[in-house]
Amino acid sequence: MAETATPQVVPDVEREEQSRPKSDLEPGWLVICWNDPVNLMTYVTHVFQVVFGWDRQKAEFHMIQVHKQGKSVLARTTMEKAEHYVHQLQKYTLHATMEREQ
Amino acid sequence: MKLLRKHKGQFLFGIEKREKDLLFQVLQLYPLVPPSRHQLSKTEEGPAHDENQRLLEESLAEQRRRNRRQVVAMLEEPGRFRETEHDFRLSLSAVQVEWLLQVFNDVRVGAWLALGEPEELQLPEITKTNAPYILAMEGAGYFESVLLDALGIRNPPGIEEE
Repeated sequence: MAETATPQVVPDVEREEQSRPKSDLEPGWLVICWNDPVNLMTYVTHVFQVVFGWDRQKAEFHMIQVHKQGKSVLARTTMEKAEHYVHQLQKYTLHATMEREQ
Repeated sequence: MKLLRKHKGQFLFGIEKREKDLLFQVLQLYPLVPPSRHQLSKTEEGPAHDENQRLLEESLAEQRRRNRRQVVAMLEEPGRFRETEHDFRLSLSAVQVEWLLQVFNDVRVGAWLALGEPEELQLPEITKTNAPYILAMEGAGYFESVLLDALGIRNPPGIEEE
């Protein structure tokens, strides 16, 4: 596969303003998508756009990262939101997990 | 199968008889991914994680039941595939395209798992046992590609599917 220039995109840090325990609201969780070579690249791009509402360029950046590096950190967020994203990604049969940020 | 028209969230596809037969075969395999495939985390453990894992499995099981009902309804709906002189016409809403993508990818990934998770372009030798899975994986991938193309999703320049 030909190399292409990839834009610098970093995972979003999301904030919530609800009255929940501070630890739950801290963005200490990473949503990671792992490479399954069976998934079509266009499919992965589409799912990222649907689940995260990203534009095409950002979705493609993360898709290429998954494809070439074996994984991509898609979001750094709260536990609740990380769970939500993992549920959504797995609905589309993408291999996604949430991991505590070290 | 090819897109004939796209208008206000409605997609009209032309589909040949043999493609329609393949579509039915692929859809009837859904769901194919085993529930144990869905893990919330690779590192977390303990009661809280177990509870969250249970919730994930319940949520996905419900989603699969809903998708399965929609698949059956679609296959049995009279007039869903309208016959023309040369082929069939299949009309889908944007919402239907979205859940069909989920269904096709489940079949594709499930077949791939059943084949032993081969790397790209390294499919095993075809045997009587694995032939249905190879057909399902390739068939589901074909229909996924058609739907993604209809949505206007294409790879960036220089990037090609392997």
